Amino acid sequence: MDPKVMAYFAAGIGAGLTIIGGAAGIGRLAAAAMEGIARQPNAAGDIRGAMIVAAGLIEGVTFFALIVTILLAIKG
Amino acid sequence: MTLLLQAPPPEAAPGHETAAGQGGPAEVIMHHVTDQPFFGLPSKHLAFFVLAALLVILIVRLAIRSYRGGTIPKGFGAAVEALVLFIRDEVAEPNIGHGDARRFTPLLCSFFFFILVAALLGLVPLPGYTNGQWSFVGTTSTGNLAVTMGLALVSFAAQQYAGISKYGLVRHFRNLVPPGLPVVLLPIMVPVEILSMFTKPFALMIRLFANMLAGHMVITTLLLLIALMGQVSWVGGALMTPVSIGLAVFIMLLEILVAFIQAYIFTLLTAIFIGMYAHPAH
Repeated sequence: MDPKVMAYFAAGIGAGLTIIGGAAGIGRLAAAAMEGIARQPNAAGDIRGAMIVAAGLIEGVTFFALIVTILLAIKG
Repeated sequence: MTLLLQAPPPEAAPGHETAAGQGGPAEVIMHHVTDQPFFGLPSKHLAFFVLAALLVILIVRLAIRSYRGGTIPKGFGAAVEALVLFIRDEVAEPNIGHGDARRFTPLLCSFFFFILVAALLGLVPLPGYTNGQWSFVGTTSTGNLAVTMGLALVSFAAQQYAGISKYGLVRHFRNLVPPGLPVVLLPIMVPVEILSMFTKPFALMIRLFANMLAGHMVITTLLLLIALMGQVSWVGGALMTPVSIGLAVFIMLLEILVAFIQAYIFTLLTAIFIGMYAHPAH
């Protein structure tokens, strides 16, 4: 197969895998945060702050993979 | 290669999408998010980077002036003071603490305000007119790897300064390994610790760069859909315009939130790393 075709194919699959990992992680984080707020509503502010920070960090890792995928699609 | 903001008349669309591969959508997107010469200056990101720095200085000057010799600022100064106090009490004190927080708070405030202003500046849609066509000047300077590498290098230098100024050069590196470690673990711990000393600023750099870049690519893609649909027929372009602009406005609102969050995360992580090197006992 033409390497250019394989590069685009790989970029597509890479983007899909990236979003699976990122969304699964942040989904679990959000579920835990919801449960924590449900148990202790007066800790909602602290939990929200920690949730935002953790979501930012997880998204940072997701973007590492996304940059690789974009490089494949642009340069491939 | 320019991007039109209103529903385009069909004869203007072929300006940048004549044939696939010649100024196709990928090229237009890359053209809008990468660096270009700008009004005779060599680099657009550099111009906006300097503009963001000047805006930060202006904001701080205005805030200081609103103190008027007292200790309670009015108006704009109160807003800036709220942010600075937030950084000192929530970011610097819990993470650095032990009397060193005051030393590093100016640096953390600089990081926070600069990243925030640079990101918000990239969201302002400034119209420009070059070569007889309207275009969309204005760019996020932190969406450039070189700019974020500079910020990460300053953060790295601050971390090393925090350790070396307190403990001296040799003890700073000896502090990397926790005390009371069995000697057999040293060959594993030392390379891991030294490597992590370099991957921390690298991660900061990539995180900020990718967040800013991704936001802009999404906005450019959404607005590009108007021109793409307009190429098929101008009715498609006209119908696509409210949808695209609505989506683009929503993404821009999300970008404002992301700008605040990324500025906060960069500052928070720098504070945590400085704390790790300044007080390595824990």
